[in-house]
Amino acid sequence: MDGNGAVRRRKAGGKLNRISDQRVNDQKLQSQYQPYKDAAWGFINHWYPALFSEELAEDAVQGIQICGIPIVLRRIDGKVFALKDQCIHRGVRLSSKPMCFSKSSITCWYHGFTYDLGSGRLTTIVANPDDKLIGTAGVTTYPVHELSGMIFVFVREDDFPDEDVPPLAHDLPVRFPQNNERFPHPLWPDTPSLLDEGAVALGMHRTGESNWRIACENGFDNAHILVHKDNTIVHAMEWTLPLGILPTTDDCITLIEDEDGPKGLMQWLFTDRWAPVLENKELGLKVEGLKGRFYRTSVVLPGVLMVENWPEEHIVQYEWYVPITDDTYEYWEVLVKVCKTPEERAKFKYRFDRVFVPLCLHGFNDCDLYAREAMEDFYADGTGWDDEQLVATDISPITWRKVSSRWNRGIAKPGRGVENASKTGSIRMRRLAEGKKPGYFVEKIND
Amino acid sequence: MTTAPAYAVSFRFRDGAQRSIVTDGSIPLLDAALAQGVPLLYQCRSGSCCTCTAHLVAGDAEMASDAGTALLKSEREKGFRLLCRSRPRSACAFDLAYDSSIAAGAARKARVFVNALDHLAPDVMRVRLELAEDDWIDFRAGQFIQVRVPGTDAVRSYSMSSTPSELPNLDLLVRLIPGGVMSEYLRSRARVDDVLQIEGPFGAFFHRDQIKAPHVMIAGGTGLAPVLSMIDALRRKPGRKPRVLLSFGCASCESLFCVDELELRRLWLPTLATRVSVDRGAEADGIRIGNPVTAIAAADVEDPETVAYLCGPPAMIEAGRTRLMALGVSADRIFAEQFVPTS
Repeated sequence: MDGNGAVRRRKAGGKLNRISDQRVNDQKLQSQYQPYKDAAWGFINHWYPALFSEELAEDAVQGIQICGIPIVLRRIDGKVFALKDQCIHRGVRLSSKPMCFSKSSITCWYHGFTYDLGSGRLTTIVANPDDKLIGTAGVTTYPVHELSGMIFVFVREDDFPDEDVPPLAHDLPVRFPQNNERFPHPLWPDTPSLLDEGAVALGMHRTGESNWRIACENGFDNAHILVHKDNTIVHAMEWTLPLGILPTTDDCITLIEDEDGPKGLMQWLFTDRWAPVLENKELGLKVEGLKGRFYRTSVVLPGVLMVENWPEEHIVQYEWYVPITDDTYEYWEVLVKVCKTPEERAKFKYRFDRVFVPLCLHGFNDCDLYAREAMEDFYADGTGWDDEQLVATDISPITWRKVSSRWNRGIAKPGRGVENASKTGSIRMRRLAEGKKPGYFVEKIND
Repeated sequence: MTTAPAYAVSFRFRDGAQRSIVTDGSIPLLDAALAQGVPLLYQCRSGSCCTCTAHLVAGDAEMASDAGTALLKSEREKGFRLLCRSRPRSACAFDLAYDSSIAAGAARKARVFVNALDHLAPDVMRVRLELAEDDWIDFRAGQFIQVRVPGTDAVRSYSMSSTPSELPNLDLLVRLIPGGVMSEYLRSRARVDDVLQIEGPFGAFFHRDQIKAPHVMIAGGTGLAPVLSMIDALRRKPGRKPRVLLSFGCASCESLFCVDELELRRLWLPTLATRVSVDRGAEADGIRIGNPVTAIAAADVEDPETVAYLCGPPAMIEAGRTRLMALGVSADRIFAEQFVPTS
């Protein structure tokens, strides 16, 4: 109250640490991508990479976790089968101590519950072959598609019908030359695809410690060029990176919503729809000239990045950010090239080992790993999703959030009764004490 | 001495399960059947809620003529009966529109806190509730609860506009009626953190499993509540989503509500199309003048598998049923719930 007793309203503003009205992500926009905000454990009912082909030898068994679901894979007579890695009896992971008595089954090593690889049905129990449970229950099976050196699994909810499983192509980036008209690329040749005849996929995957969405958005965030300014390949090849890239029009991004195809977005990089930022007067920064490398990024559900014309012509880089739990993901970096002869394959492998792995997969992308972790604390308890203050360049992640909210085939429920669902269990603590961080693969029992 | 008649009455559920009873017709069929262990759905037991609706397919059963019931004349003529009001006149057989397992979800009492009270329109309030610690109810998308007006003995029924996945939160859309007991409470006395007594779930109006068939949903006014719940529940089910057409009608543009909510659903569910109608006023962007029933065209229900859900005032249900059947929708694929203000 002032001197004469009248009551006055508080003055607005004055404090800086408030959410600004000028942020792009207001309440209305956030509602549009609420499903994405709910998807901490991933989008389910989608195709995800599980293993490289060479990681599953004939007759081998391996266990992984995707979207909070434990999955066991077995290769028999060349074909890969995938089942839920959780015995219906008492939840044991079949993959932790592989036991297979026939070519068509896998047996739980604890009490002998045996499942048919094709149908998942409980076909017998080793020590209890007349039990009435047999034949009436089983584990969920997951369709598998192996190609070009990679094994993909359709990670689905238990009651997702077989007839609704889409082809793998619906969860892979757009292909060329089929899309040359829609997405012309005058600066580089047709981008290869995993689905091409003769395609060879070489790459690696490793576990990252952040939510999958943070990792995914980093892949196509055009404003994070600054993070890469010290990467060796940039200097070895004398590329000059701009300080940043700004959208110049509303259609700098085009949605991909093909009826029988992938769903996501394409960014018109290296066109006049995005302008490089070469100067910041206030900070006295200036980039002289520009010897860049042309590339273009797109992302489609369930969260697979395509970087066309990278790191060289006729090669494409794919990245996946496969949710393991809500705070770990499996980061895949895969380079694909069409190799028609054994010589071409050998040359690609040599260059991959000697140039691409040290300079690109590690040399360029390692810093993305720590960049993602840097945001994890803010987002892990939900604060970031509500309180982030986005700017115009964030049109990329915002568009991704909206298009994925619309087209995802399901939102994975938080993992229950599975590894790392609880963050403080005694087994997790023991593993940490042994120096083993939470990961993607099952811990095999050494007996 | 006259021996009491003995009528054999059979009930066939949608899943094929069959139950039979023998009754002398001295008490309503609902009471006789429940006493003999038939799992029937019911709620008001007084002819107003239509939960106990059954289709008489053989024999003769009549409803007590001195009791006005909420069953429409057209429905009665097609053979529908309210079991709480019906007595057999011969051996008879009834078909029920729900599975024998449904009634297993028995109604329970619970207490809820009021989390928010939002005026969505001059005569529509959204009431956001949350179950108290240690209390729980469950429901199927489309069902309703009874809410006791605090300080009175009056109870009113409201359908949840939220889905079971949002429990312990429950949302209701309430039409405010001049002089209505609940309306007065909500308008003048209700506060956030008030505690209300509820009971539920009730109702035979909930989403059926024909997930793949094209859906037509017609909602009038706060009849949008159960329909919105069904659309949100459908969105969460795994597998390919069916085409859904929602035709929503209100009296006027001023009384329109949930327009933003519908826009979000259209964004989240690519197979959803919506049409909004108002009875009167000037035509506005995306809003047609008319009623939500006439907004449905023959092309919308071409597929013979089309399933329809209607919720709103009795006149709208009557008109909706008539129109849909005239356009070829099968009578047993039309589900309806009437919203009638309690006087």
